[in-house]
Amino acid sequence: MKTRYIKVIRDLTSDYPKNIMLIVAIALGVFGIGAILGGYSVIKREMTDNYLSTVPASATLELEKEISKSLVDSVKKIPGIQEAERHATVTARMRVGDKWFPLLLFVIDDFKEKRTNKPHHLSGEAEPSPGSMLVERTALIVMNAKEGDDLLIKTPHGEPQKVKLSGTVHDPGLAPAWQEQAGYGYITIETLHALGETQGFDQLRILVSEQPYSRDHIMETAQSVARQVERAGYPVHEIQVPSPGKHPHQSQMNAVMSIFIVFSFMILVLGSILVATSMATLMVKQVRQIGVMKTIGANSIQVMGLYALMMVLLCVLALMVAIPLSRLAAAGFYRQLAVLLNLEINDDSIPYWVAIIQVGSGLIIPLVAAALPVIRGSRISVKNALDNYGVTQTYSANTSWIVRFSQLNFFSETFRLAIRNVFRQRSRLVMTLGLLAAGGAMFMTALNVSEAWDSNLKRIYVQRLYDLEVHLNNFTTTDSIVKKIDAVQGVRAVEAWSSSPTSVSKDNALNITSTYPDKGHASFTMLALPVPTQLLNPTITEGKWLHDPTAHHVVLNQSARSSLKIGDEVSLAIEEKVSTWKVIGFVEDVGSHSTAYVSLQTFSAITNTTGQAELLRISYRDRSKENAMRKNLEIEKLLEKENMAVSKTIPVWLLRNAIAAHMKVLVNSLLAMALLMALVGTIGLVSTVSMSVLERTREIGVMRAIGATPAKIRSLIVWEGLLIGTISIFVAFVLSVVLSTYMGRVIGDMAFRTPLSLTISAFALMTWIVTIFAVAYVAVLLPARRANRISTREALAYE
Amino acid sequence: MNTEQSKPLIELSHVTKSFPSMSGNFQALKNVSLKIGKGQLVAVTGKSGSGKSTLLNIIAGIDKPTEGQVAINGIRVDKLSESELATWRGKNIGVVFQFFQLLPTLTVIENIMLPMDFCNRYPKNERRERALVLLEQVNIREQADKLPSALSGGQQQRAAIARALANDPPVIIADEPTGNLDSQTSAAIFELFAALARSEKTVIVVTHEKDFADYFKDVIVIADGAIVNEFVPA
Repeated sequence: MKTRYIKVIRDLTSDYPKNIMLIVAIALGVFGIGAILGGYSVIKREMTDNYLSTVPASATLELEKEISKSLVDSVKKIPGIQEAERHATVTARMRVGDKWFPLLLFVIDDFKEKRTNKPHHLSGEAEPSPGSMLVERTALIVMNAKEGDDLLIKTPHGEPQKVKLSGTVHDPGLAPAWQEQAGYGYITIETLHALGETQGFDQLRILVSEQPYSRDHIMETAQSVARQVERAGYPVHEIQVPSPGKHPHQSQMNAVMSIFIVFSFMILVLGSILVATSMATLMVKQVRQIGVMKTIGANSIQVMGLYALMMVLLCVLALMVAIPLSRLAAAGFYRQLAVLLNLEINDDSIPYWVAIIQVGSGLIIPLVAAALPVIRGSRISVKNALDNYGVTQTYSANTSWIVRFSQLNFFSETFRLAIRNVFRQRSRLVMTLGLLAAGGAMFMTALNVSEAWDSNLKRIYVQRLYDLEVHLNNFTTTDSIVKKIDAVQGVRAVEAWSSSPTSVSKDNALNITSTYPDKGHASFTMLALPVPTQLLNPTITEGKWLHDPTAHHVVLNQSARSSLKIGDEVSLAIEEKVSTWKVIGFVEDVGSHSTAYVSLQTFSAITNTTGQAELLRISYRDRSKENAMRKNLEIEKLLEKENMAVSKTIPVWLLRNAIAAHMKVLVNSLLAMALLMALVGTIGLVSTVSMSVLERTREIGVMRAIGATPAKIRSLIVWEGLLIGTISIFVAFVLSVVLSTYMGRVIGDMAFRTPLSLTISAFALMTWIVTIFAVAYVAVLLPARRANRISTREALAYE
Repeated sequence: MNTEQSKPLIELSHVTKSFPSMSGNFQALKNVSLKIGKGQLVAVTGKSGSGKSTLLNIIAGIDKPTEGQVAINGIRVDKLSESELATWRGKNIGVVFQFFQLLPTLTVIENIMLPMDFCNRYPKNERRERALVLLEQVNIREQADKLPSALSGGQQQRAAIARALANDPPVIIADEPTGNLDSQTSAAIFELFAALARSEKTVIVVTHEKDFADYFKDVIVIADGAIVNEFVPA
């Protein structure tokens, strides 16, 4: 081996504690990138494969009449249609313990020959026998049941009946049941009728044969099919075209992953800044060696090569540690996400490009970061290198403000010197501050976002002043039941509302929504409420709230806003009827899908349901979950006693839990990222502060020679560390506010459909302050003790 | 050796070196001209700040003159670029420092093999053997595989001299090589330099040590940047 390479290896091994820190810093970034990208690549592939394996329908046409087999056959013959089948979805309720939970029943025409949205059979019966149903595998947890058990079910028009859970399926197109706090069941039409429903198949699912991923083409084809179906005497009231080939959670997943990937790269950049700082220090420390090497024949390129090789070796070691570990973490990550997204991982291979990106970024980013100090250090002239004493001898004129500041009377001599020392090496100070500030900013951002997340969950209760939402089967006269509920002890208020799926109507076209088959994702609802209402406290962002009970006024929430402005008129289709509304306000609505708020009086006039409602919202004096659960049972019993046909009940606590469950992994992962950031940041502080002490060993010798006591020197160095820490905290705080706003917007939009309000976590700030001060103190204490332990003569001779 | 007929190995003509300072330009060397022949052992003396080290740096190509010409072995050193200088220096000049300046993480023998590596002199498989011969020459062969920190000051300086000889340069330059050594060790080092001169190496030593004047037939005395004694040129 060439002698120069022996020097590189010896330099690396002789200062192994510092080099291990550098390896860890780079490895953390590479690990993060590998874990996230590895997890993401598998999940993205499996999400698409899982979803497409169900053959999702291109469009679903909701018809007013029962669909006959002959209609399906004729639709199949329409050019451009690959498959067609009839289907029905019924919202029922299931009894778990002493509570009713929503249950989505998918009524399937032919289990053996299912053409679209095919669930994968897992166990038990493949086709449910009469009186039994198949359940989605994730629903068993919500049902608190196992295969073979009976479940009490109540359909909108039927009496509660026991249904046997005869088999399980996996439906990757559905969010996990525990996430939605609902059940998913698959039954035959006969079982539906046995449960008391008279309806037949009213959904026509089609699969286009060309351009299956073009939403425009699908919409055009669906419109054409709808017109033909209508001509055949089947009125169509809604066409649902979800994003083609895209899992309902695909966009959220992409957004979440992009945040994580940015965080991972930031960790690597932080680690690289640390490496650059260390290399800069090493170049200063070895400047005389560089001078000697150049004296004995080395040119700048050869010297540069030595330090570049040192960097490459550090990076290679980091990669060797990080890549295998990141693959393990990626496996853990995609398994978690698979549970969260109800996916089955069929192929767990992590694509080779992940490792290529890890190797590329793990080599290139640190090398680029360290390039400047290495090039500058290598190009130093022999004379300058040999004359160099390690620390800059000049004190720039533009630092005079620091001198003046440090001369303030109330500063002690030691503190004054500490201030000047901190600003001596500007480029190092900037790098150290950059490292600490970025680490601190991201640490605080993660905790700020986490706290904002919690407070937004609480906003669900602040905006929703009700505790229970009861959906009735039909528009019903509710005066009497409202009075009875109002009389229940502990009830604060009860109001009768109405709701209806809606869509923005365009000229000469049928209404097309983006709703997925679970009827939740991408849906658009019109909510009609009494004006004024006691049970909603929306956050008005623009314009005003509904105030005229008879006006055709609409207030839209953030998801429904689109490009509309105050004063615009918008045509909305409800139950086939298109009506025009004037936009008077926009609200921010935590946790709601696209919603248009209108006056119940106006809504009833349009839908000919005056005096009737199909939704009851009830609030309790005591809003605790325990009380709400008790009262909900009481209300449910009362509704049963009064023979009210209830389709579903949604307690607000259940809604809150469903939203919390959706993003739990995200928030936890964010906190894990915060810890990694904090780790890299503090490694940076330990490394740079201790190196700054080390390289001033000679200067410390001079100070001791002229009478400085060890205590004085220790206090000087400690003050320096604390000063750097303090400045970094200020910068980190400002940065964290900017980052928290951005992250809050992205995460809030995904989870609550509204940005998270900016929250400054006092806990995060205090934790970071304490961490930085403690680390700064410890980081300087050890080298300070070492500096004090060397004799003055040794310190003065230190090269 | 330094005959009138032989062409001088080192030739400085009207060399001036100025450094900018707060109070204007400071002239470290003023119009210095000198010639040194092959195999000469030359001492450079003078008070601190007189310009001795600047003269040495200019001869070694570590520094460039502000004015004048420097030719070593027929090569105009003042015209070479930094990169060309590095290679040229590695092959033609051996430098010995006051504080030895051995690389602390390399063993003694590795320190000696390093210049051969940088200048790509001698086949790889011969380098170790050559380094051992040089260590033998400076009497520390048994220290070959030790780290510099395990050696005494004198031994380190011997190792530094061996390193200076690694690429068999015609010129050895030493800047106060005994400044950090006791008198007995210093004598041994000067003896070593004398032996090198006898083997046709040109050795230029900056020294304050008057006790060792006997070793030097040729002495350059510098004061305020100028040669003030009657130095006999090559």
